[in-house]
Amino acid sequence: MDELIGILQSVCPGVDFETEKDLVEDGILTSLDIVMIVSELMSAYDVQIDVDDLVPENFASAETICELVNRAREK
Amino acid sequence: MSSKKWLVAFVCTVLAFGLLTLAFNVLVDPFGVFGDVIFHWDSYSQTLNPRVGKIEYLDRHCDEYDSYIIGCSSTSSFPVEELDEYMDARFYNLFTYGADMLDSEDFVRYIIKNYTVKNILLNVYIDNGHTYDDPGIDNLTGAMHARVDESSLAAFYWKYLFLDPNYAIDKVRSFFKDELLAEPYDVFDVKTGCYDKRERDAEPISGLEEYEAIEQYSGFADYPTYHVPLKKTAQAMESLVRIKEMCDEAGVNLIVVCGPVYSGYMQGVDRQEAEEFYTSLAEVTDYWDFSISSVSTEPRYFYDLTHFRNCVGSMALARMFGNGDVYVPEDFGVYVTRENAVELVERNDAVFASRPRTDEWTKDVPILVYHNIVPDGEEGATVSMLEGQLAALRKAGYESVTFRDLEDYVYRGTELPEKCVVITFDDGYYSNYEYAYPLLEKYGMRATIFVIGVSVGHKEFYKDTEFVMTPHFDEEEMAEMSSSGVISIQSHTYDMHQWPPFETGGHVRETLLRFEDEDEEEYVRALQKDFERSRSQIEAVTGERVDVLAYPGGGYDILSQWALTQCGVNVTLSTRYGVNTLVKGLPQCLGAMHRIYGDAFPDAGELIAAMKGKR
Amino acid sequence: MSITSFAFAGFAALLAVVYRVLPQRVRWWALLAASVIFYAAGGPAAAAYMAVTAVTTYFAALLLQRENDRRAAMDGEQRRSSKRSHDRRRHLVTGAACAVNFGMLFAIKYWDFVSESLAFLRLPALGLVVPMGISFYIFQSIGYVADVSRGKTAAERSFPRYLLFVCFFPQMVQGPIDRFEHLAPQLFAGRRPDTDEVRDGIQLMMWGYFKKLVIASRAGTVVGAVYANAGAYPGCASVFAVLMYTIELYCDFSGGIDIVRGTAGLFGINMAENFRRPIFSLSLAEFWRRWHMTLGGWMRDYVFYPLSLSKPFAALGRFSRKHLSGKLGRILPTSLATFIVYFIIGIWHGANLTFLAYGLYNGAIITSSILLAPFYTRVKKALKVNESGGLYRAFCIVRTSLVVFVGRYLTRAPWLKMSLVMLKRSVFDLRLRELPGVVTGLGMSFFDLALVAAGCAVVLAAEYIEERGVGIRAYLAKRGAFVQWLAIAVPLAVILIFGVISAGSGAGEFIYGRI
Repeated sequence: MDELIGILQSVCPGVDFETEKDLVEDGILTSLDIVMIVSELMSAYDVQIDVDDLVPENFASAETICELVNRAREK
Repeated sequence: MSSKKWLVAFVCTVLAFGLLTLAFNVLVDPFGVFGDVIFHWDSYSQTLNPRVGKIEYLDRHCDEYDSYIIGCSSTSSFPVEELDEYMDARFYNLFTYGADMLDSEDFVRYIIKNYTVKNILLNVYIDNGHTYDDPGIDNLTGAMHARVDESSLAAFYWKYLFLDPNYAIDKVRSFFKDELLAEPYDVFDVKTGCYDKRERDAEPISGLEEYEAIEQYSGFADYPTYHVPLKKTAQAMESLVRIKEMCDEAGVNLIVVCGPVYSGYMQGVDRQEAEEFYTSLAEVTDYWDFSISSVSTEPRYFYDLTHFRNCVGSMALARMFGNGDVYVPEDFGVYVTRENAVELVERNDAVFASRPRTDEWTKDVPILVYHNIVPDGEEGATVSMLEGQLAALRKAGYESVTFRDLEDYVYRGTELPEKCVVITFDDGYYSNYEYAYPLLEKYGMRATIFVIGVSVGHKEFYKDTEFVMTPHFDEEEMAEMSSSGVISIQSHTYDMHQWPPFETGGHVRETLLRFEDEDEEEYVRALQKDFERSRSQIEAVTGERVDVLAYPGGGYDILSQWALTQCGVNVTLSTRYGVNTLVKGLPQCLGAMHRIYGDAFPDAGELIAAMKGKR
Repeated sequence: MSITSFAFAGFAALLAVVYRVLPQRVRWWALLAASVIFYAAGGPAAAAYMAVTAVTTYFAALLLQRENDRRAAMDGEQRRSSKRSHDRRRHLVTGAACAVNFGMLFAIKYWDFVSESLAFLRLPALGLVVPMGISFYIFQSIGYVADVSRGKTAAERSFPRYLLFVCFFPQMVQGPIDRFEHLAPQLFAGRRPDTDEVRDGIQLMMWGYFKKLVIASRAGTVVGAVYANAGAYPGCASVFAVLMYTIELYCDFSGGIDIVRGTAGLFGINMAENFRRPIFSLSLAEFWRRWHMTLGGWMRDYVFYPLSLSKPFAALGRFSRKHLSGKLGRILPTSLATFIVYFIIGIWHGANLTFLAYGLYNGAIITSSILLAPFYTRVKKALKVNESGGLYRAFCIVRTSLVVFVGRYLTRAPWLKMSLVMLKRSVFDLRLRELPGVVTGLGMSFFDLALVAAGCAVVLAAEYIEERGVGIRAYLAKRGAFVQWLAIAVPLAVILIFGVISAGSGAGEFIYGRI
C-alpha cells in the first residue's frame, strides 16, 4: 500500500492520496492523471489493466486503486 | 410561491403577452384586414399584399368607380385619368404584382358580383402563359383575399391575427418616417390603384449610354436571355374564356390588351410557344396588341425588363382611342382578330430581325448657356467671342430652335432641323439685352433668357441692399425682346438664386433645393409658390407661356423635378455638361437637361466639336 | 423545426401536457412518436441516415450482449482461456458498427472536403446535405455499443425503445451526447414530472432563449461580414469579430443546450450537463472538461483511454521509458494520445483545414503544458506564487481565456490563411482608433452593442454567482410572489422584444446544428 502511494505521488505530486476518498468526482484526478497512473502501475507491477476498468469508481481513492491492481494481478 | 402557482403565473403571463400581441396586430393592422382603424393607410397594406389591400379598399370605395383595369404589375402603366377621359368612365387599376390569369378571373368574378362594373380592361402579358395558380406565392404577401377566391375566411383572419408582430412594428416605424414621395413601403396611389410613379417619372433621361450606366438600368446593357417557357397557355386561356363569359353575361364591356414586352425578354420565349399564345388568345377574343414593336427595342421606354413606362401606356391608349395629338410610333399597336393573329407573330419576327431604328425616335440636341456678356477687352464672355460663335454656327448650318420645338418633338413627334441648337442665357443680365439680343437678331438666331424674378430691373444694387452687382434688364426691355420673337423669357426662379454674402438671415437659398432640416411638404409649397410668382411676373410682361426653368446653380433633385412638373413645367435645365438625347414620347428627356458653357470654348470650332459630343 | 421557433415551443408544451395525461406505461411511446415526427420533418434522407445508425447499432449491441452472456456462463478456467477470442469477437462487432456509422458520417460530412483537397485524385464529389444532428446521434449510439461491449450496460432488446434513445427529439439539434445508462432508464420510466421540475425546465429554457436569441444572434450579425472580407478591415475589426464570435458561440451553444435540457425537464428527464461555466477555467485542459463536456467525456472514454492502453501505445511507453530519461519518457505516450484526441475534436467541428489547425493548436498547448509542468512548478516556487490565491486564479482565468480566444481565430475562418492574416493584423495592424467606425460600418448599432454587452454582463454575473455555489433558483423561489412574477414577466418580455421581435422574422439558426 505504501509502495502504491509512493508511485501515485510520483505521478501526481501534490495530491493527498492518504486522505482523499473521492479523487475523480472532486476533480482532483483528471483523465490524463488516470492514464498516467495506469501506465505507471502496469509497468511497476507488470499487470494488464483493461479499458473497461477505467471508471471513476476505481480511482476514487488509494484503496480502490489498490483493489484494482489486486484484481488485475489475479487475472 | 409554490411551483404550481409559479406555473399558473407563467402560463397566464405567456397568454397575456400573446393577447397583447394579437391586439397589437389588430390595431396596427399592417395588412389592412381589420379595418386599419388607427392609421387609415391603404397604400401601406396594398404594398404588403395588393390582392388583399385593394379589395379591402374597394369594398369601402366601390361606389367611386364603375370600371376596372386588371392584370399583372406592368398593367399599372395604363394611365387611369386618360382612360377615364377617353371612355367617360371612372376607372380603378386593380392590377396586382405577379397576377396570373386565375387571379384575374377571381377578380373579375368578384367585382362583377359585388360592384357596379361597366368596363374591364384586361392586360394579358406573355407571362400569363408561363405561370398559373403558382403555389410558390408567399402566404401572407401574395395570397388572394379569401372573399375573392372564396377560401376559408376563418383561416384568412387567423393568418393575419397571429401575424409576426414585426409586420406591425415595421408599419409603425414607417409611419413615422413617411415622406412625401413614394417609399418602398407605400408604392400605390390609393385613388387610382396604380403604382405611385411620381418619383420614377421625375427622373431625367437622356442618352442610352448614360441610361444604361445607371445602376437600376444596367440590366438593359447586359441582358441575359432568361428562358420563359409557356406551358400554362392552355390553362390561362380557359380562364380567359370564363372571364369573357362572365363579362358577356353581365353586360360588361371587356377590352383585352397585350401590353408592350421588352424585346430582350421576348427573346427568351420560344417562338412556337409565343405563336400558340397569341393565336389561342385571338381564338378567345379580339384584342389590342402592343407586345412587340419598335417600342420594345428601346430600353428607355421601360422601367425595367418587364415593366413599360407610364408614357408608353399613354401612347397605347392614344392609339386605341385614335388620339392624334399624342405621338404614337407607326408600328405600335395592332387590333388583332382571329384572322390576322398569325401575321402578327411574323411581324414580331421582323422586329427582332432588324436592328433598332433608334434615329427614328431620338435626336441629339446641344444646348448652349451664357451668362453675362462683357465688352471686348474685359475678362469673361466677350461680345466678339459670342459673335464669332454665332457666325460659325450659322456657317456650319446650325439652326437655333426653341424649347417649344423640343416639346413638340417629344410630345407630338414633330421633327427638328437636322442641325439644331438651343441658345440660353441665365440670370437676365442687362448685357444680354445690350449685346446679345442685337447679335442674335443679326444672325437670325433665337435664344431663351432665364430671369431671376427679384432681380429684374435692378441695374445697380442687389435687391434692396447697397451691394453693387452686375445690372439686370428691366420689364420694358424684357417686353421688347420677347415681342421681337428673337428672345423667349423663362424662369430662373423668383428668388431662389440668392447670393449669400449679400443676404441676411439664416437660410439662404442659393439653389432651389430643399434645406436638410426642411419639411418636404413645406418645401414643395415654397418652391411652387416661388415659381408661380416668377411665372406670373414673366407672363404679365411677355404674354408668353412659362413652362421652362433653368435650375439656379444647376442644383436639382427628384423632389424638385416632381414639384415643378406638378406646376406644369415641362422642361428643366441643369448645368451638367453634355449633349441631350431627346426621345419621342418620353417626357423625362426634357428634365434637368445638359448644357454646354459657351465661354468654355472661346474657339468656335471647338465649340461646334463639343456640340457634336466630342470634347 | 428550429428550437427557437414558436412551433418548437408549442410542440414541446403540447407534448408535455399529453405526456402528463397519458398512463405511465405508454408515456415513452409519446416521446418516441414526437421524436420520429420531429426527425422525419427533416426529410427522407435524414430519416434514412438515422435508420441506418439505429438499426446497425441495435443489432451490434445484441450480438455483443450474446457474446458477453455466453462468457458470463463460463467457469473461471474457460473464461481465462477464451479471453483472447472473446475480445477479438467483441472488437470485430464494435469495429463493424463503427465502420458503418463513421463511414457514413465521413461520406456525408468529409468526403467532399477530401475530394476537393486531393483534387489530383479526381474523386467525384457527393454533395450530400449534412442532416441535423447526425454527429450527435452517431456518437451517442457508438458510445452505447462500446458500453455494451465492455459490459457496462446491458443491450436494449426492444427496438422501439432503443430508437427512442437514439432519436430523443430535444437532443437532435445539438446534443448533449448522453450515456445509455444515464438517459435510457429515464426515457422509459415514464415518470410524471413534478411541478418543480417543470418550473425548473421552463426557467432553463427561458435562460437558453435569452442567451441564444438576445445575445448570440445579435453578436453574430457582424461576424460574417468581417470573415467574408477580413483583408479589408484593420486588426481591431478582427479582434472585435472574434470576440463577437466567441460570445455568439458560447451563448448559442450553451443556450441551445439549456433549451434542450429544459425541454427534457418538462418530461422529468435530466439530460447530461454539457457546460459547466467554462469561462472560469484555470487551464485549457480544464476548459475542455467544462466546455462541451459530453463530447469531452465521450472522447475520454472511447478514444483516449482505449488509445492510451492499446498495444502500440504500451510498446511506445516501454520504448520511451527505456530511451528517454525522466518525466518525458513516462508521459510521451499519454501526450501523444492527448494530441490525437484534440486532433479528432478539431475534425469533429468541421471538414476544413482550419479545424485541423484548431485540433493541433489545442493538442499542442495541452501537451506542452504537461511536458512543461515541472518547469512551471519550479518557476512558481521561485516566484513564491500562492496557487490558491485569488490573484493567481484570476491570472489563470485570463490566460486561459486568451488561449481560447486565439483558438477562435481558427474555427470560424473559411480558410486557414485568413485566420492567420486576421491574427497577424490583430497583433501588428490593430488601428484601434478606427474601431467605432468599423463597428457602425458593420451595421451594428450602438444599441445592439450595448445590448450584447449587457446580456454578457448578466450571463457572467449569473455564472459567477453559481460558480460561488449560490443557487439562483433557490434564492428566487424564496422571494415574494410579485418578485417571482417579475422574474417571469421581465425575462419573457426581454426575450420577446429583443430576441424575437427586434431580431426580425426568421431568427437565428444554429451554428452547431450543422455538426
